[in-house]
This record gives sequence, C-alpha cells and structure tokens, in this order.
Amino acid sequence: MDNMHDHAVEMLHIDKAFNDQKVLDDITFQLERGEIHALLGENGSGKTTLMRILFGIFKADAGEIKRDGATVEINNANDATALKIGMVHQHFELVEVYTALENIVLGAEDTRHGFLRKDLARKKLEGLISNYGLAVDLDEKIENLNVGARQRVEILKMLYRDNDVLIFDEPTAVLTPGETEELLQIMRNLKAEGKSIIFISHKLNELLAVSDRITVIRKGKYIGTVRAADTDEQTLSEMMVGRSVQLEVVKTRSNPGEPVLEVKHLVCASAFSEKNAVNDVSFRVRAGEIVSIAGISGNGQTELIYALTGLLPVKSGQILLCGQDVTESTVRKKSENLSHIPEDRQKHGVVMEFNLADNMILRRYRQDRYQKAGMVKKDAIREYAAGIIEANDVLCTGGVDSVMAGMSGGNQQKAVIGRELDMDRPLIIAMYPTRGVDVGAIEHIHKRLVQERDNGKAVLIASAELSEVMKLADRILVMHEGEIAGRLDPEKTTYEEIGLYMAGAKKDEKEDEWYE
Amino acid sequence: MNKNRNRFLYSTVPSLIAILAGLVFGAILMLIVCLMDKNITLGGFWDGARLLIIGFLSKGRDELGNLMFGYNGTHLGNMLFKATPLIMTGLSVAAAFKAGLFNIGAPGQYLMGLTASIVIALAIPSASVPAGLILVLALLGGMVAGAVWGMIPGALKAYLNVNEVITCILTNWIAANLSTLIFEGSAFINNTEPGKSGFLYKTAANGVELPKALLDKVFPGSQVNSGIIIAVILAVIMYFVISKSICGFEMRLCGSNREAARYCGINENANIIMSMAIAGALAGIGAALYTLSGNTEFAWSTYQKLPQVGFNGIPVALLGCLNPIGVIFTGMFMSALEINGQQIANLTAYNEYITSIIIGVIVYLSAFTKYIRGVMMHRRKKGGTKK
Repeated sequence: MDNMHDHAVEMLHIDKAFNDQKVLDDITFQLERGEIHALLGENGSGKTTLMRILFGIFKADAGEIKRDGATVEINNANDATALKIGMVHQHFELVEVYTALENIVLGAEDTRHGFLRKDLARKKLEGLISNYGLAVDLDEKIENLNVGARQRVEILKMLYRDNDVLIFDEPTAVLTPGETEELLQIMRNLKAEGKSIIFISHKLNELLAVSDRITVIRKGKYIGTVRAADTDEQTLSEMMVGRSVQLEVVKTRSNPGEPVLEVKHLVCASAFSEKNAVNDVSFRVRAGEIVSIAGISGNGQTELIYALTGLLPVKSGQILLCGQDVTESTVRKKSENLSHIPEDRQKHGVVMEFNLADNMILRRYRQDRYQKAGMVKKDAIREYAAGIIEANDVLCTGGVDSVMAGMSGGNQQKAVIGRELDMDRPLIIAMYPTRGVDVGAIEHIHKRLVQERDNGKAVLIASAELSEVMKLADRILVMHEGEIAGRLDPEKTTYEEIGLYMAGAKKDEKEDEWYE
Repeated sequence: MNKNRNRFLYSTVPSLIAILAGLVFGAILMLIVCLMDKNITLGGFWDGARLLIIGFLSKGRDELGNLMFGYNGTHLGNMLFKATPLIMTGLSVAAAFKAGLFNIGAPGQYLMGLTASIVIALAIPSASVPAGLILVLALLGGMVAGAVWGMIPGALKAYLNVNEVITCILTNWIAANLSTLIFEGSAFINNTEPGKSGFLYKTAANGVELPKALLDKVFPGSQVNSGIIIAVILAVIMYFVISKSICGFEMRLCGSNREAARYCGINENANIIMSMAIAGALAGIGAALYTLSGNTEFAWSTYQKLPQVGFNGIPVALLGCLNPIGVIFTGMFMSALEINGQQIANLTAYNEYITSIIIGVIVYLSAFTKYIRGVMMHRRKKGGTKK
C-alpha cells in the first residue's frame, strides 16, 4: 500500500470516446513523485485528450484518477488547480499588454481593499526565479518578451500557484536549440526540488536526455512504460509507430537539371526595422535537387520565403520561376508553378473553422473539376479530400467533415503537406515541414520530399532543425542577418561549421557566381 | 443524416431559446404592469399575453368583449409587407458577417437606397417613360446607392485597416444628413396635401409601384405586394451564393482567415470591398422594395434619426443563424411581433411601448445565440456518447 503513495498522479484504466469513436482505450498512466515522466505517441494518439481529462476539460467515460493515492473527481480546470496540477500549454495563454508579473498573478491575485498587492507577489516570484534559474524581467510587457521568456512566464505562473504536478505540452516545439537546452535544465531543477513533471514531446533526443521514464501510447492504447536509461530512439519510435521506422533519410546523390528558381540580388524590407530583412540574396534551385536554408529563426528566412511566394512585396532584385520573371506577380500567378508548405500553418496553411474537405480544396477550388459555372461541386471536393487524407495517413475522427480546429497539429500539418505536394508543381517550397509532427510522420514527409526530388522537382526547404537540414539537403545555404553567409555541401560540412555560420561567427565572401 | 440533423438542431434551438426567453420575459413584464396598474385586470393580462404571441391572428373583440382569433388577411399581409425590408437588411448583415465584417452600416445603406429609389421613381415622369421601366430603374438605383455606401467602409477597412464598425456608424450619419440635404426644398416634398409637408410624395403619385401579384386577393386590406416575393427569392439566391458558390467560398475564406485567403491567391482587399458592396446592395434593395410599394410615405427630415429597420437587420441575421433561409423566417417573426404590439395597444389597456421593450429584449438575447450553442455543444462533449 505504501507503494501507492509514491505516485503523485495515477490515471487508471481511462476510456474515452468521441462520437462513438474510441480515442482512449484502457489507458493507465502513473506519475511518481519527483520524476520527469514523458508521454510519447503519434499525432492524434490521444496524449492531449488524456491530459485534458487530467485537467478537467473532458470527462473520462470510465476509469479512475488518483492524486497522492486518493481518488479524485476533476470536473473543470479549477478542480485541477485546487489539486495543484498545472499545465504549460503549447500555445501560450498570456495577455500581451500586461507585464510578466501581472500575467503571473492574474486569477490568483493578493489584494487588499481591492488593490493589487504586487509587493507580496514580487517577493515570492523573486525567490522562485533565483531558485529555479528562470530569468524573467517581471516588469517587462509580454509583447516585448521573446518566446523563451514567455514560456518561463508560463512556468512561473504554475509555480506561483504552488503546483507540484507540472504538465509541459510540447514545450520545445517553439524554441531554438539554445532555449531548448535552457528549458531542459529548468526541468531538471524543478525535479530536484521535488516537483513531478509530465513532459510531452516528439523530439526523442530531448525525451531521452531529460526523462526518467517514458510511457508510450499508440492509437489510444497503452503500449508500455520504459526507463529512459534502458531504451533508445529506435526502440521508442518502433513502440510508438508499431513498425520499424527509418530515422535516417535514404537518398541517392542528386542529379540536378535545369534551374527552376533563380533569385538575383533580392532585397526585402523589414516590418520591424530600417535594416532590410532580406539583403542582396542570390541563389538558384535546380530541378532534381533539395536546397536547404539553415539559420536561426528571424534571420530573414520567413521574409525570403514570403517574397518568393508573393505574400511580401519585393524591394529590388529579380525572381525567375521556370524562366519567367515573376518578381511582381501575384500569389495566384506564382502558385501556378510552385507549391508552398507555409511556416505558420494555422495562420496561412489552414482555415481552422473550415472542415477538412474545404481545407484540402483551398488551392484548387477554381479548377474546372471542382466548380461548374461558379458553383462548387461538393461531391468532387469531398472525393478529392478523402483521397488526400487516405494517401497521407491523416487521422481524423469525422473524415472529410472533421473541423480543422478539432484536429491535432501534426495531422493538420500532414494534411497541408498532402495538399501541397499533390499540386504537382515544378518548385516545392517547404518551411519547417516537420514542425510538431511525430517520427512516423517525419519519416513519411522526408520520404515524400526526396521522392519529389527524384521525380525532377526543385525543392527548397527552410528548417530550424540542423539534423533535418543535414539529412535532406543536397546543398545548404546558411542565412544570417538577411544575407547568405555560407553555401555548404552537407557531405563536406559539420554541425559545428554550420553553427558558426548561423551565429555569424563565420561568413564567406560574396561569390561572383551568384547562383551557386 | 444524423450529422445534418445535429447541425440543424444546433443552429435553430439556440434561436428558439432566445425568442422564447424574450417572450417569457415579456409576459412576466406584462404581469408586473398588470399588478401595478389598477386599469388592467388579470383578464386584461391574459388578453395581452395571448396577443403578444398570436396578435397577428387577432380579429378584434366580439359583442361580449372576448378576443376573437382566426385568419386575418390584413394583419398577415402587413406582416409580410413589413418583413420585406427586414429580410433584406438581415441578409445584408448576414452576408457581411460571413465575410468576417460587422455591417452596422445597414441603416445608412438603407437610407441611401431609399433616397436613390425615391428620386428616380419621382423625378422621371411616367407620362413620357413607361412606369414599369421607372420601377426597374428605381430598384437598380436603390441597389447601386446601397452598394456604394457599403463600399466606403469596405475600402477604408481594406486599404487603411480602419475598423468597419466605426466607419459604418460615421457613414450612417453622413447618409442621414445627405438624404435630408437632397430632399430639403426639393419638388419631392408633398406640399399639395395639407399637413403633409414633412413627407415626400408616395411613388404611386407618379404611377410607380410594385405589382400586387394577386397577393392583395389573398391578404385583402393589407399593403403587401410582390416585394416580399422578390425578397424571398433574393434570400434563396444568397443562400446559394454564400454556401455553394466560389464567390461565397472566397468570402467565407476571407472572413475566417484573411492570411490564409492571401496564401490561396485571393485579393483579400478586393474581397472585403466586394463583400461590403453586396451587403450594401441588399440593404439598398430592401429600402427600394419598401418605398416602391407606392403606398409608403417617407418623412424626409432624417438628419436626427436612422431607420430602425437597418439596425433590426442585426438581430434578424443573428436569430437566423446568419443563414439566408433562416433570415426569411426571423424577418417575418420580427415583423409579426410589431403587428402583435399594435394589436396589444389597440385591444388592451397596455400601450405599444411594452412590445418595444420585448422586441428590445429579444434583440439583446439574439446576441447570446452563439453562447447558447457553445453551452449545448460543451454539454454534449462533456457527457461523451450516451448509448
């Protein structure tokens, strides 16, 4: 019996169904006190649903939840808070125009005669900050904080409420490698102080680096719990996907043909500063090769891709696509020859309120197959969307009628990639193509991109993940402060060398050959 | 099938709850007034409460003083007549909502449509031009004037990112003043009939009026004409435009996610202006249909007030779940309430303000339909599947 009390949280034999579809089937998850316990599963496997049940957002159909050995009933988020369970959400829930301190105390304010007592809160928070190494300027407004600092504010929010079960839902998806390292250290500090942590992530190396135990679920079923020390990436991915997964990308040497995209001396203005976001960038992408842009985010990659796809005006320079000058062309004109997997899928890639069918037709609804005299052909659209879902293994409970907002991020991404690659354009532009998707899907996406290359497509990828850049690219361009700092061959370079270029510590002179 | 039924329930039930709550509130209010006012007996309250719900079926009182109910062509016809402009402004608001825009400018668009169609209907002499042609021109004129008035906030939103609510309110008042400016001292003012100088001539004075289309036979003694048929046809057309056409798809796309619309190659600025033009055109047609009945008089000095029918388009659209077909019914419901109010004032000791309050409450509650729907869906989700 004593053994039971070592568990901070136990979720026993949890069942949950939506619209007669079982999403959790007899799941058991036990969190020991003072451990970091990772929860691993494919997109849509039920991790988020399980955590939402723990957080009182959904109610389980069957099963039992115990906190410190006692059975509890969690009906809403307030119940969870009362049980000292806190969650850092994937998308931050902060008020932009409030200071960090105001955000942290929001909802748990100490007041006297109706006035905020910030001094008390400040004292407590300063203690927490120094204890856990959570550097945050408490008086800075959220809108002026970078992503890493915002996340630390979210963590402080949980600690301020004296939570001792902390849920981190894909916290590293939005962080740079340096920030990720910091976060992992913070998690270790929290653990050392006796907090119990549930860590959800798709990045196996992070899970292995920081967790004590890992529970794997697959399609709503419990697969197993393993100690991090006794396992490795390959084993975990197989448990998760249910088959052997190729973590390495298999590809032959590229056999480039004619240039598809030629960019000459491109300059784009920045929305934020006087300096140009993209400054005199020249390169080309040929049919049958993958060119990858590496760089710390915010160094002009976004603006470069937006300019190429027509979302951002060009200040000067020239863009040639399939030999045509498209510098000033509209998005629609450009998309006749390119497909675009956007950086921010919820902003550009999908319409959250629309169902899958409408989302899958976004780029094609004007084609004659899907419209007649200005009226949409619903059946043709549904049939087309069903095909994309099938071919790309998109998990959705309601088929083509599933509303985008109800789908997991990874499945949204799979749908977007399916849609874009199906456009069959000579140039494929993909920005962060595997952001937030699980290993099984990463394998699929990488395979598709290489396949497209072998079919003679020109592929341009921007990615923040160096390992992805190294695996996929035939050529690497490193961007730093809006310029191409280095042009590298992945077979001849190292992570360290790319890192130097990314940080601006190393820079090549401009070459006369503008395109290579 | 199950899915469609659910969608239907989720959209209609919240509106019915809002309407029912408004009526219950009205009945309670009437009861309180009854208890406080010595002139109103409990029997009077019972009469009032019945009239509140089915006043449009009232046939006055019999010799014993009891209320009589039954088919009343005058009331029903007038209900349809008054529903005509409400359906159109409701469609106007609903179309803009689908494109992510809040068209609170319907009163201004309505007023500009009204002004344009009256000017055309009265200025072109029917002696030299066929009245039918003038009628068509006046309808088109109302539509175009409304569309132009809608485009102004649309263009400001698209190119300068000014919130359309602010510009709509401003353009409403510009319309109110502009209309007065146009008519003041003009030859359209009815100076021939004594005491009518505050009004313009009826368009029937120039022989311009919408055909009755036999509706006067079905609803004798009422003002109803073919305008209601046109409004219903336009609502059906709008249904197909919004939910089945490429144009509507692009409108909804822009309304849901402007950035995604850009990504798809849509010129989102042009789309916003077009959406507001469509919304304005619908309100303008509504005004034209109302005034071209030939029998309505327009109090031209509008610079201090905006037409209520424009604002009422908002609750009509919301209660109708922004669905053009739903708007047909909610437009008729709102005008039925107005008829009921008149009956209460005519046949009981209550005054007509009580219905104004009840309409106000229903308007207020219409804003909660989305919330009610949210609660319904949440309850279902929480409960999971029940077998």
